[in-house]
This record gives sequence, structure tokens and C-alpha cells, in this order.
Amino acid sequence: MNPLCKPVEHINRRAFLKGTLATAAGGAFLNFGSLFNSDSIAAEAKKLGKKCILLWMNGGASQIDTFDMKPGTDNAGPFRPINTKVSGMPVCEYLPKVAQHADKLAVIRSMKTSEPDHPGGIMSMHTGYRPAVNVPYPEIGAMVAKFNGPADSDLPSCVHLGGAGYGGGGGAGFLGPKFQPFSVGRDGRLPSFTTPYLKADSEQRRNDLLRFMEQDAAKESSAEPFEAHRLAKEKAWRLLQAKGVFDASQEWPKYRDLYGDTEFGRGCMMARRLIEAGVAFVEVGQENYDSHADNFTVHKATLSVLDPGWSGLMTDLKDRGLLDDTLIIWMGEVGRTPQINNRVGRDHYINGWTVVLAGGGTKGGMVYGATNANGVGVKDDPVSEGDLFATIFTALGINPRAKHYVGPRPITAAPEKSKVVKEVLA
Amino acid sequence: MRFVSYPTLLLTASVVLTSSTVRADETPLRQLIDAEVKAVWQRENVTPAPAASDAAFLRRIYLDLVGTIPTAAEAREFLADKDADKRAKLIDKLLDDPRYAEQQMNVWDQVLFGRRPPDSDLTQRREGFQKWLREKFAKNEPYDRWVRELLQAEGWTSEGPTMYFAQYKNDPESAATAVSRIFLGTQLQCARCHDHPFDKWKQVDFYGLAGFLVRQTFVEGNQNGKRHYLLVEKSSGEVLFSGPAAEQKPGKKGDPVPARYLGGDLLQEPPLPAGFKEPELKGIKTVQKPLFSRKQKLAEWITAADNPYFAKAISNRIWAQFMGKGLVDPVDDLRDNRPASHPKLFQAVHEQLVAQKFDLKWLVRELVNSQAYQLSVSGAVTDASPRFYERSRVRPLSAEEIMASFRSATGFDDAVKAAGGNPATTKTPEATYFLPYFGEPTNGRGDFQASLNEHLFLNNSGSLRQSMIQPRKGNLADRLLTSKEAWEERVDELFLSVLTRLPREQERKKFVEYLTADKQAGAAIEDAIWVLLNTAEFRFNH
Repeated sequence: MNPLCKPVEHINRRAFLKGTLATAAGGAFLNFGSLFNSDSIAAEAKKLGKKCILLWMNGGASQIDTFDMKPGTDNAGPFRPINTKVSGMPVCEYLPKVAQHADKLAVIRSMKTSEPDHPGGIMSMHTGYRPAVNVPYPEIGAMVAKFNGPADSDLPSCVHLGGAGYGGGGGAGFLGPKFQPFSVGRDGRLPSFTTPYLKADSEQRRNDLLRFMEQDAAKESSAEPFEAHRLAKEKAWRLLQAKGVFDASQEWPKYRDLYGDTEFGRGCMMARRLIEAGVAFVEVGQENYDSHADNFTVHKATLSVLDPGWSGLMTDLKDRGLLDDTLIIWMGEVGRTPQINNRVGRDHYINGWTVVLAGGGTKGGMVYGATNANGVGVKDDPVSEGDLFATIFTALGINPRAKHYVGPRPITAAPEKSKVVKEVLA
Repeated sequence: MRFVSYPTLLLTASVVLTSSTVRADETPLRQLIDAEVKAVWQRENVTPAPAASDAAFLRRIYLDLVGTIPTAAEAREFLADKDADKRAKLIDKLLDDPRYAEQQMNVWDQVLFGRRPPDSDLTQRREGFQKWLREKFAKNEPYDRWVRELLQAEGWTSEGPTMYFAQYKNDPESAATAVSRIFLGTQLQCARCHDHPFDKWKQVDFYGLAGFLVRQTFVEGNQNGKRHYLLVEKSSGEVLFSGPAAEQKPGKKGDPVPARYLGGDLLQEPPLPAGFKEPELKGIKTVQKPLFSRKQKLAEWITAADNPYFAKAISNRIWAQFMGKGLVDPVDDLRDNRPASHPKLFQAVHEQLVAQKFDLKWLVRELVNSQAYQLSVSGAVTDASPRFYERSRVRPLSAEEIMASFRSATGFDDAVKAAGGNPATTKTPEATYFLPYFGEPTNGRGDFQASLNEHLFLNNSGSLRQSMIQPRKGNLADRLLTSKEAWEERVDELFLSVLTRLPREQERKKFVEYLTADKQAGAAIEDAIWVLLNTAEFRFNH
């Protein structure tokens, strides 16, 4: 395959050969000639359901130092708020570029969640559920991959660039290994086992011999697992054909200034490349907000990296017409205490913290919920992790009540009693 | 049940009721299995697959009983054997093989712990538990006896069965859920937060069962320089029940729930002496006995021959292990209102198991000697485990089976020996990748799902290639490369080593061509071995 050729054009090669393009909903429409002739990649992407990028603030970013500032109170700290074009939505002075996108942000200031520690928080803020011994809940990326990913693609539908890492957020859980997040380096470097040890022609000969064996075997038995195994093998080969998308060295110099010359910035650009290539979900992780000591030093440094990365991503997606179909989530596993401790740090806090949504399916320029005057506790409209996930799924066009069965037990996509925060949806 | 229309169910149920007085223990179970399975084929108008070939049977029985494929030499010997009774004899031989205990231990270790048990730093160090369990299968200790010992476990988590409960320390509710699911085949977890929506269980049933385990206490300590716990049972302590989860309020403490046998009576126990004070447990090094052991009562009740669930649950689980699908599916969800697919057979299996005093090896022997177990995999049915057992089931090899089969197929152990090493103490190369990539190949319902990582690893791991696939003195590639035999013979050896069968005519021709084409022989041999290891045929037990 031509390395410059965008894999989204190969989204459904088989369907194309049949003259149809399967949609995410499972329907199909006649597509003769249109696939390679479409106006833009964005138009193709639209047909496949919304994409999602999760900017994962590992360790838990401080709400009171970013999007829920309380100037003039004992808890305020030294950071100053700057005004944005949205009234009532001041943001921290260290996020000046993100501030310029305020009209596209939906800031939820009333997160009230249940897991105060990292492992539990990482799990529940990836699944919408409290961790349970008996149910392997899938993380959000696997769910988005299942519902909004292309039926047949060269690339995995869920990619992690750092972030919660393998299994930390729950992995594919009960959805199964087909939707297992594919983890690459924070800046997009490919993991082990993606470089063949044989020369291309030797590998081709070897693979053809395997295909010969499998064709023969397919006549013997129609059992599904055999077929699943063969398809996975073909898919592994196709990934290596399409892996050029992970090589951003040509493009990076042009975008370095936009995204900021950091690993996280480069990860954000990679997220855009992957979304463009048809990947349904990308998680980009940023280390490390766990500021039990020296909260302000930590946040000044991390926010300065976050600001160009996140804002660059918004700008770039918008320029390419992808922002309306790509939901960006900014969150970590916990918030941080409004009170400043005796090491000038802030500890974990789950009784009033902030998550920000932007782009696909959400209403920009709005604040939902509120904490009390000094930042302690939720004053209005508490939102649980379950509510947040019901809202996110709805924004992405996924039914939050969609059921999966774990043994005999039906499990809904978002917890059964969770409510959708309609106010933040477009 | 979606397969059988409702009136048929009623009819079947009533037939069972009237025939339940007729004892079937005169007929060997294996014959009864075949008669009942066949009767359902006729009723459902199903055409079964033909009997499995000797080669297909050989591979299947090795994997199921001893957890690995046979060597080419073992395959040749079995295929050449003209004895009409050779399958039954091989079954007997493998049931006495030390690897039988290892394989069943691995299977049960997964049942009891899964791949990712809680507190992994502790529970991954469960060699002591595994040793205990392996010995049970090596001695073929009756199932009820070792389960009783497991349920009464006390002492250090470094040895014996105690580690089982350590994964649920400070969580008697999860322990109760696991114990009832695995040993009684009942799904109580719904009743943890609300009365079960589709079964008869109420929340008080759940908390009543948890009451037997609430007094377990884990005292932290050290064994062999590692964190371990001493499991003791206290004399006091109750489960507190504060109503349905949806109605719970912060600060609501709940009321003590008396311990109650599942679906049965309240536990009768002597009252604590007046002024009883629980002794200090911190820092103790040896087990202290409670005044009265609730766990002992629970263990006795669960494992009693007349427990309404115990024999059914284990019969169904062993059946599913070898036949693919439980007679009640899923295996751990027996309900009064969910009939077995073959009710008469289900009844015969668990009644006979009780009569045989929970001799699991007896049950396994009967199952794998049945014609139903020995069918081929051919046919148009796509299900991994066909509902009427009309062809053999297809199950993915476990990570342990894959590693053992890689070693056998590639002659890895021979190469270790040739280099002066000891295969028994040589770890499988790349085990750190095999375990995660092959460890959990299914979704929540047990259906196979292939993973990308598995294939990237097999395709591109240079280290796997060097250690197992490329020629090393004594291994398969080396044997094929240095052999003086005709290429046809060498291809036969290759197929027998990896796929436990001879090649079909067109396969032999194709592989001879490949190996003799204008290419370095070593590289071509390596490719051929890799190809067979990567087939679906190798990936599954079928």
C-alpha cells in the first residue's frame, strides 16, 4: 500500500468490492465509485459514527487551579484566572491557548465520584462503573471501538498513546480481545513485534504457504473459532501494511509549533492522524498530576505542556472539519483537594471536581454544575462517573442502555440508574 | 431456553418425573451418554459428524488429559497400533500420567483464581496452593473431600488451600458469591444488591451465606521473606444487612443477618459465653480455633452427598470441560426453572457421581470413552460448542497448553537436553508474552476472540524464532535439516510433530515443493514449521 494513502480509504475493502459500504449501525448502502471519490476524509468519517479522543491527566489534575478557580478564598493558591469569551468561564492563566477555545468547551464542575485512589479511580473513570470482582467492565475505548469503529479496518479501533496503559483502565473486559486497546508509545512509537524479521518477499512466501493450509482447512470445518483465528492473522498482516500512519516524522516539523515540542504534543498530533485514518478511539496520556506536594510547581509545568497540545488538537481537528465528529474528553481519575496541605500540595478529591468535554456531540461555551464558594463539595447538580459515561455515550451516538451479557447477567453500557446530562449535549 | 419450544419442555419434564424412580446404574455411564445424546439427535432431526479419526482423537485426548500434544513418535506408535481397544487403553494410560494431575490443576487453578485475581502481588505467589491442588488430582482424592478441606482452609497462605480465600480477604460477600457460583453452580451476585430478578434468591439468602465466612480473619505476617497471611476464624462477628443498595443511606449501619444454609435452615449454634471477648490476633503465628466453627458447618453442608446443588454443579462443570457446553449452560447457573438440555442424562451423571463417591477420574474416563466425545469436528455447524453435541467442540488452547504444545512440536526439550540442560527446570522462552497474549482468549460468555497481539507476537518475535523454530541441535528443525530421508518422509515427520497427523496428498506435495525450491534449506524448514504452528488447526483443541 502507498504509505501516503490514508487507511480510512481502506476502511471496508471487502464491502467496497461488493459495491457497498457497511455503516456502523450495520446497514449498508450502495457505494459504487464513491469511496475513492469522496470530498474529504471527514465525509467518510461521518458515516462511521463519532470518534473520541481522551486526554488522560494521569494522577488527577486540580480543578481549582484550572477550570473551577476560586480567587479570593483561602483555597485559591497563587494562579490567577483569565477571562474567556464565555462569561462565567474563567480559566487558569497557564491555559491561555485552551482559553481561546472556551466557546467549544463544556465544563462539568460538579463531578462527585466514588473511587478516591488511583487504581480504583483509573478503572471507574474508564468504565463508568466501580470496580467489581465478578464483572470485567470494558473501558470506554473498547466500547467506542465496538460501537463506532469500522467493521473491517487495517488499524485497531482503539489506540492508547500512554495513558492508563495495558489493562489499567479495564482493557476490553467482557467485550473480548477483538476490542483490546492497542498500546503504543506516548509519542506514537510502535510497540514490540511490529517489525518483521523476514524480508518482505520471504515473508510473503511464508504467509502464502499459511494461506494455502488455511484454505484447505476451511473446507473441513465451519466452526467459527477457526475463521476468527484466520481473520485475526490477516488483520495482523494488514496492520503492518498500514503502520506508516504511526510514522509522523515528515509531518511533525510543520506542526511542532502548533502542538508544542513535547512528547504529549506529539501524541496529540498522532491522535489526530489516527482519527483521520479511521481509528475510533485514541487515548493520549499526560504524566503526572499527582501533586501531593508542590502542587503549584507541578501544575505550572504540566499545564504548560497541556495548553499547546490540547489547543493545537482542537485547532487542527477544526481546520480539517473533524471536530464536530470527534469528542474530546479531558479528565483524570480524581480531582484534587481544594485545601492546600502543609507540603503545599493538594491530595485526592472526589466530592466536587471537574471534567471537560469538547467537540463532537457537545454544546460548547457552557458550564454545568457548581461547587461551593470555597470549592469544597458540590453545590448544584452532582454528576457521578456513571452519569458522565451515560452522557459521553449519548454524545457519541451510543445507547447508554445497550446491554451486554456477562454470563446470565445483563450489563448496560453505562450503569442502569445513571442519568444523561442533556444540558451539555448539542 | 431458546432451543426447545415450551410445550416440549413440559413434556420432557414430566417424563423425567415418572422415570426418576428407575435406577440406571446397571448401564455404564458412557453407554447411557451415547443413548441419550443419540435420542436427542433423532428428536431434533440432527445428523451427527462421523467418528473422529485416530489422529484427531489422539491430539484431542492428549490435550484434554495431559495438556499437551503428543510427540511424533507417540503419534506414530498410536496410529500404527492395530489393537481394536487402543483408544480405551490410551485413555487409561494418560489418566495415570503425572501430567494428568498438572493439567487438571491448571484447569482448576483458572476456575478458582482466573487470570487476574485481586491482590495480585500476593495471589500470584500461589505455588503452595497449586502444589496442594496438584496432589489432590495425583491421588485422585474424592472431590467432596478436597473441597471440604478447601472450604475449611486455615493457616498460612504460603501453603495448602488457604490462598483461595486470600483473594477475598475482608470481603466475605465476594467470597460467598464465588463459593456459591463455583461449588453450588448458583449465581448469587445479583442478590448482593437486590433480590435476584430471575431466580428465587433474596438478599437475605445471600447475606445468610456470607454469614458463614464473615468471621474469617487474615493476620498479616511474613513467610520466606514475603508478605503472607495467617487465616483464622474468629468466634464472633456478623454480616450487617442494610436493605437494598438503592435505598441505602450514608451512616445507616444495618442489622446483623443470621447465617443460613442456602435455600435451607438457619445455622444452629451455641450462644457465646457471657462476657466473651475476642482474643488479640495481631502478630499471632499459629492458628487459633474458634469456639464454634461456622466454616466447618458450611463445608460439611456444601459437600454433603444430599446437598441439592453440589453434585449437579460438579457434574455439569466436568461435562462442559470435556464436551464443550454444560448440560445446563452456562455451567455455573443452575436454576430450578432452567432445565438441562438432556434432563435424564444430567440426572444420571450426577446420581452416578454420588454413587461413585465423587470420583472425578471415573467421570472423566466415562466421558472420554463415549462416542459423543469421540466425534469429528467436520460439518456445517458454526458454533464452537454445538448444542446437541453433534460434532466435537472447538476450544482454544490455554496459555499453558500452547506453551507445552510449542515445546513438544518444535522439539524444544530435546534441544535443551542436547545442550546438557534439564527440560524440567527450563522455562518456556517468551512465557511473559505467551501468558498475557494467550491467557484470556474469550469474551464474557466464553466465545473465542482472536487478539492482534497474539499474531504480532507469533509473526515477529525474533526471540521465539531463535529459541524454538530455527535449527538448534536436537530440535525439530535440526532433525529435518540433517535427516537423510526423502523430503516426503520429512514432511510427514513435520506434520506429525506439529499437527499430530500425516499430511494430505496435496499438502505433502506443496510442502516438498516449498522445501526443495531454490532456497536455503534451513530457512525453508523454519518457514514450514512456523506455518503449521500458526494454523487454526494448531490453535484449538477440536
